[in-house]
Amino acid sequence: MTETAELPAWVAALTALLLLLGAVVTLVGAVGLLRLRSFYERVHAPTLGTTLGTAAIALASMICFSALEGRPVLHALLIVVFITITTPVSLMILVRAASLRDKAEGKLQAPGADSPA
Amino acid sequence: MPYEALLVAVLALPFAGSFLAALFRANARNAESWLAGGVALASLALAGAAYPLMAEGGIARYSAAWVPGLGLEFVIRMDGLAWAMTMLIAGIGFLVVLYARYYMSPADPVPRFFSFLLAFMGSMFGIVLSGNLIQLVFFWELTSLFSFLLIGYWHQTAQAREGARMALIVTSAGGLCLFAGVLLLGHMAGSYDLDHVLAAGDAIRSHRLYVPALILVLLGALTKSAQFPFHFWLPHAMAAPTPVSAYLHSATMVKAGVFLLVRLWPAMGGTHEWLWLVGSAGLVTFILGAFLAVFQQDLKGLLAHSTISHLGLITLLIGLDSPLGQVAAIFHIMNHATFKASLFMAAGIIDHETGTRDIRRLSGLWRFMPITGTLAMVAAAAMAGVPLLNGFLSKEMFFAETIEIHDGSPVDRALPYVVTAASMFTVAYSLRFIRDVFFGPPPTGLPRTPHEPPTLMRLPAEVLVLACLVVGIVPGYTVGPILETAVRSVLGAAVPEYSLAVWHGFTPELLMSAFAMAGGIAVYFLLRSWLLVCEGPPLFRHINGRRIFDRVLVTLSWRLARRLEEIFGSRRLQPQLRLLAAVALLAALAPFYMQDLVPRSMARPELDAAFALVWAVGIACALGAAWQAKFHRLAALILLGGAGLATCITFVWLSAPDLALTQLVVETVTTVLLLLGLRWLPKRLEEISPPARIRWYRGSDFAFALASGAGLAALAYAAMTRPSPDSIADFFVENAYTKGGGTNVVNVILVDFRGFDTFGEITVLGAVALTVYALLRRFRPAPESVPVPEQQRVQDIDDDAHPDRKKGDTVRSAMAVPGLIMRLLFPVIAVVAVYLLLRGHDLPGGGFVAGVTMAVAFILQYMARGTTWVEDRLRILPVRWMATGLLLAGGTGLGAWLFAKPFLTSSFSYLEIPLIGEIPMASALLFDLGVFALVVGATVLILIALAHQSVRSRRAPRSREAEATTLAPMAELR
Repeated sequence: MTETAELPAWVAALTALLLLLGAVVTLVGAVGLLRLRSFYERVHAPTLGTTLGTAAIALASMICFSALEGRPVLHALLIVVFITITTPVSLMILVRAASLRDKAEGKLQAPGADSPA
Repeated sequence: MPYEALLVAVLALPFAGSFLAALFRANARNAESWLAGGVALASLALAGAAYPLMAEGGIARYSAAWVPGLGLEFVIRMDGLAWAMTMLIAGIGFLVVLYARYYMSPADPVPRFFSFLLAFMGSMFGIVLSGNLIQLVFFWELTSLFSFLLIGYWHQTAQAREGARMALIVTSAGGLCLFAGVLLLGHMAGSYDLDHVLAAGDAIRSHRLYVPALILVLLGALTKSAQFPFHFWLPHAMAAPTPVSAYLHSATMVKAGVFLLVRLWPAMGGTHEWLWLVGSAGLVTFILGAFLAVFQQDLKGLLAHSTISHLGLITLLIGLDSPLGQVAAIFHIMNHATFKASLFMAAGIIDHETGTRDIRRLSGLWRFMPITGTLAMVAAAAMAGVPLLNGFLSKEMFFAETIEIHDGSPVDRALPYVVTAASMFTVAYSLRFIRDVFFGPPPTGLPRTPHEPPTLMRLPAEVLVLACLVVGIVPGYTVGPILETAVRSVLGAAVPEYSLAVWHGFTPELLMSAFAMAGGIAVYFLLRSWLLVCEGPPLFRHINGRRIFDRVLVTLSWRLARRLEEIFGSRRLQPQLRLLAAVALLAALAPFYMQDLVPRSMARPELDAAFALVWAVGIACALGAAWQAKFHRLAALILLGGAGLATCITFVWLSAPDLALTQLVVETVTTVLLLLGLRWLPKRLEEISPPARIRWYRGSDFAFALASGAGLAALAYAAMTRPSPDSIADFFVENAYTKGGGTNVVNVILVDFRGFDTFGEITVLGAVALTVYALLRRFRPAPESVPVPEQQRVQDIDDDAHPDRKKGDTVRSAMAVPGLIMRLLFPVIAVVAVYLLLRGHDLPGGGFVAGVTMAVAFILQYMARGTTWVEDRLRILPVRWMATGLLLAGGTGLGAWLFAKPFLTSSFSYLEIPLIGEIPMASALLFDLGVFALVVGATVLILIALAHQSVRSRRAPRSREAEATTLAPMAELR
């Protein structure tokens, strides 16, 4: 990775900061997935990574490569767009499936109420 | 050299004629006859034109490169023997055509008949004119094939079909043996060229492979010539139209075997093995054929057995292994052809004009057809060996030859007595043929009133009988030079003294002839009354060659196969898989032992922490998948996906973006495929503990899997720790752009350098997809997984419980938003696929990745809205995609031929497109487009076939109509 040496210091710093931010947010989401108790709570945690985390990392990529090539390199926007569109799909399907299962097994009391562990 | 053109013309004319004859109208009897007769006459004239050269003892030769890589040449070679045979085949061929014109009924489709007949004639020319042994075998098998078609000409009768099948199996199996024998001969002589082989006789006879080669060649020759114990096919071949019988059993087909023996005698004869093998086969056939012929009730059956007997006589002469024997054999080949062809024609005329061939029903025909009767009488007399006819001359030679001492064994000493006794039967059946048919009281109860046939139908027989007479009376002036020419080409300088005179004085052979004649007449009159009522020959009545043949066939092709299948086959998948894995394991272990493949030590590579982490995750996923596979299949599948992604990242890390891209899409599709398959696996419960036997199986499978995995790892490690050998990788990297016009080396290799491999691979992929489709069409899931899945049942109950909801509402509302998004993604994914396809030549991408991506777009639609919804709106027709793909890829490859380049040569240039600019265009892109289409088709076909299972099983009533309707959507895929 010799090219990184050509980056201006402020760009490098900004990129690193955004990357770190994205990584930390994603990590927090992953830890949340482990720590939270019920399924319905847990599905929220990874969304940290797919929203803010992805956005930060994509932004870092755009800044870095735009600076390197001296022109706007905005491909990463597509990643953000598609992840934003598709994440809710899997989320919705998962939650629907879980709620149907719980309903069938009689575990789901009422929408919004605290679920049993 | 005009002879070269002549030779090519002789060989090519019949085949060209055959092709033409096939194009005529079904009832064009006259045009067909003119064509076929013209071809035969032209061949005769052409061959006749070569006589000056043949008379000098010269050899006409034409050669062309055939398979230069193997040193094989296509050689047409005509020497005296080949010339005489060519004249015989063409001459009798012409007469047979003329005869067939009147014999065949207007209702028979004659183009087929004459087309096969001409092709058969050409194949016979090919045998006698081959100057190369392999080429000879080729034409040999062609005669087997065309004789099959000719014998089975009236394929509406079972008899014809069975006779044809038997002849084909026997003679073509013999042909295969001959092929093996010829390969050995070529090996021993150092060349397949006939001249070389004939000159290498000493080397062949002293070679240790001589006996196997001799046996194999004899198997070929004896099956063709219907020699004992392969004689049984010939009587059954009588189901053929009579012109075919007249041709096949006189001048051609059966003569091919004895011709080959004479041809190879200089190279292979002169040994004890030859004497005993060929001689005893001939002797047994001669006696057996003559004996059986007497007891036949069918005219053609009698003639068939007499053919067997006479060929036995010729084989015996060849087997006696002396130059004079060969002279007599060649002479008798010619004589037998003339009288036997005319006898068959006479039998055909009788059959044609009376409607029956049964000797018991025929009698006194002399009154109705005196001319035909005279012809038949003369020919039969020639067959019996009556003086002043050609048969007498060769029979005298034969008797003289049997008197000679060959090896002094008891058989040899008894030979004159044995053949005299057998000749009595020859006389007896000839007599029977004449006396029972033409003399006696007028026939009663015949289907038709007999009368003389048209003059032209009789003409061929007249010509042949005239030949019998002329040759028999003045042999020296007629057949003498011809025989001399043929004999010299076989024996070379060592032509023995022989005399064709009619009268040799009072010799022992004359005495033998007299005895045979008198004995034959006595045998006939003794047996006469019994012959007319007997059912088949005594002693041999219960030995039915055909029944034995059928039994052997059934045993070989059916019982044995069944037995082997019982022993080695299993319908259960698990033992099969176990066996497969065991063989693979053993095969992979072999190099460790035999090639000393041990891991070598090498400098430990630097380990990147992040990379190691990816691998740790990947390994954990793989182990987890194995752990969960038993009871939590979905979890295992997800973990499997994780392991796949780790592989994918590895490819990126190691700078293989093409592989990574492919891995990613393949991983996606595989996951969906497995998901669809999961539906059909029976549910497994942890609570049930399996019996000990099953546990033992599982334990052994586990050990097996461990051993296989560890072995593979060891193999990979051993391979990777040794220095890589010089490969051609550098060549690809250097030449990808200059020669292939692309900067993506991987893609250039796939579509250009190794385009043919890719073409093969996509063909295989297509075949696999079709196989999966075909298998799934008839697939019936396990009974326990046929009903609607539990989840769906619960939903349906819930829907039914609410009055405001319809069945299926739950799933519809659950999928409303996701389904919409999936639909919207369809064009996006399609664009990505096209993008991947177009940039493939220069950047990571290509037809395969693009194809799978496109398939993903289709699959997504199926998942979002269900099979029915999608197929109401979108007709995908995967089989058409596949066909288009294959045709496109193949067509691109063929396109190179237009520019006189080899198959799949690619070219490239740049194309200016407005707005987009200059883009590189390689012909490889078209090829890649083919790959793309095929991959889309194949992937979608497999996945849809799987997806359709759920549609089919749900409408589960097990009636036929229901099945038909459930199959309908599958049928549409075509």
